[in-house]
Amino acid sequence: MPGKSAELRSALDTQAKTITKLFVNAGYDYIVPDILQPADIFLDRSGEDIRTRTYVFTDPAGQELCLRPDLTVPTCRYHLQHGDIDGEVTRYCYSGPAFRFQPDDDDDLRPREFDQVGLEHYGAPDAEKAEAEIIALTIEAVRGAGLENFQVKIGDLGLFNALLASIDMPERWRRRLRHHFWRPQTFHETLERLVAEPGASVGVEMEFLGGWVSDRREEIASTLEHLLSLRAIPLVGGRSVDEIATRVLEKVEDRRAPPLSESSAALIRDYIEVAGPPRDALHRMMKLIVSADLDLSTGMAAFARRVTLMQERGVDIDACTFLAEFGRNLEYYTGFVFQIEYQTPAGAMAIAGGGRYDTLLSDIGARQPVPAVGCAIHTERLLAAVQAEAGLQ
Amino acid sequence: MTIDITRFSLALPSKGRLMEDALDLFAAAGLPISKLGDERGYRGTISGMSEVEVVFLSATEITRHLRDGAIDLGITGEDLLREHIADLAHHVDIALRLGFGAADVVCAVPECWIDVSTMEDLDEVSVRFHEAHERRLRVATKYLNLTRVFFAEKGVRGYRIVESLGATEAAPAAGAAEVIVDITSTGETLLANNLRILDDGVVLQSEAVAARAHHVNQDPARARIADLILDDLRGAI
Repeated sequence: MPGKSAELRSALDTQAKTITKLFVNAGYDYIVPDILQPADIFLDRSGEDIRTRTYVFTDPAGQELCLRPDLTVPTCRYHLQHGDIDGEVTRYCYSGPAFRFQPDDDDDLRPREFDQVGLEHYGAPDAEKAEAEIIALTIEAVRGAGLENFQVKIGDLGLFNALLASIDMPERWRRRLRHHFWRPQTFHETLERLVAEPGASVGVEMEFLGGWVSDRREEIASTLEHLLSLRAIPLVGGRSVDEIATRVLEKVEDRRAPPLSESSAALIRDYIEVAGPPRDALHRMMKLIVSADLDLSTGMAAFARRVTLMQERGVDIDACTFLAEFGRNLEYYTGFVFQIEYQTPAGAMAIAGGGRYDTLLSDIGARQPVPAVGCAIHTERLLAAVQAEAGLQ
Repeated sequence: MTIDITRFSLALPSKGRLMEDALDLFAAAGLPISKLGDERGYRGTISGMSEVEVVFLSATEITRHLRDGAIDLGITGEDLLREHIADLAHHVDIALRLGFGAADVVCAVPECWIDVSTMEDLDEVSVRFHEAHERRLRVATKYLNLTRVFFAEKGVRGYRIVESLGATEAAPAAGAAEVIVDITSTGETLLANNLRILDDGVVLQSEAVAARAHHVNQDPARARIADLILDDLRGAI
């Protein structure tokens, strides 16, 4: 990592200043969250996986710290310490370095340290209005930096959840599908299994306990307890007999439940394939839902309203692309998601990304759920895109 | 320990079965190694190959020295190579599998978890565990990197690693972790600790290997010595 030239640094600073000014003028408070963050929050939130892309280390006092991989969680922590956490609408913006592990330390577009400028909007009672505000400001910022040609991808995880909720199946199958949404291959395998034989992975031991003994959790639990003591198997590993019995019963129920209908699986597949300009996509989804005789009016109305609000704020909606499957792999998002991309000879480069994350603040300590939506701009890539575009003209 | 870089350096494990099996293999290959000084010495020679310096190091140190290019050829466990060298293919060639020191790195859960037989089950249980206990499922292991890569491949996300420096198999009973990733040759230790290997829980099938540092290929004299030793070993396996 040889560092940046004064010229590049000053170009980045100028760009960041222009964007921050736009955000501040739009009513966003400029804050400076800490660069060093306790690793625990990130690890508990996202699991061990974050170590593969975050710089985690132990300080001399033995505390595990990390260099912030983005500013979203640090901004949440700032809010919990300094902000009015009881439901007031709060708007923050920030500008500063973030750090991600990259195996190749020479790649200018995947730098290990880079600057993010972003904005976060907490507690807005009108979800779609806040979402339209965030995406419109982000597009304005990208344009203001001088970029003319870019693509906007949008998705809606809330709509996917609403679709699952409207299809008749056990709740645990919905959980499983939601959980695997981020891994397309596993998702499709799971879907196929729910159609073919939902209870395929029930072991012999479990069948004995669940099938032969009882349909009741209490009886399964007491039989399991008996079995363990008979074989002198200690109950270790932190899960109670009751927890194990609950899951045994669920797996046995999977086996007995009527499989997911092929038409429901086809509907889910068709939904995931929906892609195109938002209004066309909405039309296509309406058709799917009407032909399946489902009620998704709330989710659809929110989608349509968001589109209208984005348009009112000056977003060229027909230049956006809706992708039902977009949002996979973006961690804490719970609803509307978007990404701004610049086309390079090597493929699409993500310049900015954001969305709704309604569970994050309560997960890290807010006393009540706080609706939240935000976005971050990768400033090195934005500058590279602006320069590439200028070079082409 | 300083290693004479003007000579060809061959590293062997300094203790236990791995050392004995390695010494036997070299003897069988017609490359008998004699230790310098007393029996506990850490250097040796191969008769008839004066340009080779034999050093005895811990298997983990051998791995590290191979990565850094401080030694030319080393006998060590494949598990250690894959754990400690992130981009193995850029530093080291596994030139020969030696047919001893066979052991599997496996993921094992408490035997009482009768509802868990696959990594997919473990993934589901890890989510439930987090909801029920407000903390993450803990995996005790000394294989931090192998565990992360394997769990990511299998799609298990919501867990935390507890680094274990010994007696990993005792961690669940001691309440230090719920699950373990550890090395086992017969599975008996796991059984004795009431742990069960998951059906698709084999992380790596490891054995002792002869590993050759990449820099050796840039020096014809060194490459020739490495080829000679490896050819002889190959004939004796």
